[in-house]
Amino acid sequence: MYYKELYTRRSGGSLPQLISTENENMQSRYVVQKILELREQGVPLEEIAVLFRSSFLSFDLEIELTKANIPFVKFGGYKFVETSHVKDVVAYLRVLENPRDVVSWNRILLLIDGVGPRTAEKVVDDILKRRVSLSSDGRESLPTTKFWMQFNDYAENVQKLFDVLKQASLANLGPAEKTFQILQYYEPILRARYDDHQKRKKDLEMFQNITERYKEVDALLTDLALEPPNESVVDVESPGPEEEFLTLSTIHSAKGLEWNSVFIIYALEGRFPTMRSVASDEEVEEERRLMYVACTRAKANLFITYPMNVYDRESGLILTKPSRFIQGLGEHLLEPWVVE
Amino acid sequence: MKKFTLKQLPTDNLHLVHPQRFRIDYKKELNAEQYEAVTSVDGPHLIIAGAGTGKTRTVVYRVAYLVELGVKPDNILLLTFTRKAAQDMLRRATILLDSRCEHISGGTFHSFANNVLRRYAVKLGYETNYSILDQGDAEDVVSLVRTRLKFDTKEKRFPRKEALYDLYSRSINTMTPVKELLALDYPHYLEIEPDIQMVHNGYVQYKHQHNLMDYDDLLVNFALLLNKDESIRAVLSDRYKYIMVDEYQDTNRVQAELVKLLAFKHRNIMVVGDDAQCIYSFRGSTIKNIMTFPQEFPDCKVVKLEENFRSTQPILNLANEILKRGTVS
Repeated sequence: MYYKELYTRRSGGSLPQLISTENENMQSRYVVQKILELREQGVPLEEIAVLFRSSFLSFDLEIELTKANIPFVKFGGYKFVETSHVKDVVAYLRVLENPRDVVSWNRILLLIDGVGPRTAEKVVDDILKRRVSLSSDGRESLPTTKFWMQFNDYAENVQKLFDVLKQASLANLGPAEKTFQILQYYEPILRARYDDHQKRKKDLEMFQNITERYKEVDALLTDLALEPPNESVVDVESPGPEEEFLTLSTIHSAKGLEWNSVFIIYALEGRFPTMRSVASDEEVEEERRLMYVACTRAKANLFITYPMNVYDRESGLILTKPSRFIQGLGEHLLEPWVVE
Repeated sequence: MKKFTLKQLPTDNLHLVHPQRFRIDYKKELNAEQYEAVTSVDGPHLIIAGAGTGKTRTVVYRVAYLVELGVKPDNILLLTFTRKAAQDMLRRATILLDSRCEHISGGTFHSFANNVLRRYAVKLGYETNYSILDQGDAEDVVSLVRTRLKFDTKEKRFPRKEALYDLYSRSINTMTPVKELLALDYPHYLEIEPDIQMVHNGYVQYKHQHNLMDYDDLLVNFALLLNKDESIRAVLSDRYKYIMVDEYQDTNRVQAELVKLLAFKHRNIMVVGDDAQCIYSFRGSTIKNIMTFPQEFPDCKVVKLEENFRSTQPILNLANEILKRGTVS
């Protein structure tokens, strides 16, 4: 490591606290109560975050927060473009760009009622057989409407797909118009496939909005593949921007961010560092850096908590000790507290 | 007789702009370490920026400083961890200085690789309209290849598609043979290593045949292109005369190689990061890149930013102590 010692020219500040609780639920209730106290003292929810080593560690807290009516957003879960309905729509755009994209073909063919793997394979073979016209420099050009017009004698269910691709391939259509055509075709599929299709439709509306910003489909696809937009509505119910909310986040997703007050929960040996990591020195050191990243997110208040009675199913052990990274640090660095 | 010796003048008219004519008062707006980093121009530089020490500010001012010195914005490349980070930095530099900063190339390694490959993919036997596979797609292709090779029968255990893809991807990102990773993480599959290898070959072939690249391919193919084609390498190195890499502690081995290849002509490379915040090794990033940078570039200058603008001293004391108790590496 490069030796360094962080310092500030500003003076003052209270000691970070180490809070032990008898069990997980007490930890959750402590965090809830402390958050309400901080709010009383004038710290808005936006300036408070609860951080944890692994996403599942916040489940119990989420329930307590909901009970106490504290709105929160959780980071570190699924991403918008990884949701299956958005992936479906993207697949149509991808075959328009690259008709040899067999992965996307399989996806959109299998969405059709009455099409199984065998039919899909036949269709794909047919597509691969037809060459896309080559331009003079040897590069394959984008398929034109003419290319799509070759496919005209399929059964009705499959033919409908080719018809919409033909429509959408018209050269004068931008990404937004193409997407609009596709969404009209896709909507009955969405309704038939997902019970929560109304929620998912919100995602697709958001997707339609994103496409408006683009002139070319390939630029849109590249951005989606390389830099996915934020969370889907299905995965996180984020309150409107005018509402205040608390942040729950994995430490990995909190990198680079800062809050007035930070809670690090489950600073428990076996959870942080994880059971898996302790066999390797290198991995333990990475866990230590994670703890360092977590602590340095806090501007004014830092609360580190751990429950003392956690049964670990995998090993059969009961976890009771605070994380090795904060154990035995001395009260001049970390003030110990017990919750009763 | 008195002698007058002629000196070699800098070719790019650099450093001829007198600091007094700068629009920004760098010395006043930065602390001593930040100023040191911002005004370091030629050659390799490593900036160790602790948490909350104004790293972004430093990068933004360095960009502005280069432009004020007379470096053409076209000649500057800023590589960041997310696209948003690059956009934010360049927007801030534009506000700080002027619209010249809008013309700087900025983005992630993957998007930069993609931009280049969209132009030159033909040289590697791809067409330029290749599709990019995300992780889910890539796993589906692996599964398809496995089925085709008839390794999906129930008689013998075989890793699932997620495990296979993870294995292949880590093998590439860490440049470690699949066999070694198997021994480490899945020793019970060691005996079928040749089969796992066969699926990998099939996966590689399938992607090539169907004009597909996964995320790793973007970087690997970019490196391949630069290694293979000296003229393209020279063109890019000439174009990007000043290269900056943010979050260097999170780069993987291919990315470190790309940095070296891109800077091969001028070696004007500044990497910025914090070894203490390297937390993505499960994705193939390696703390070794930032630790061995001074060995890769022995004449590099190291600047450390330690003044924190975020937290109170008691919080910093705790953070310092947590690090200090780590095993020295």
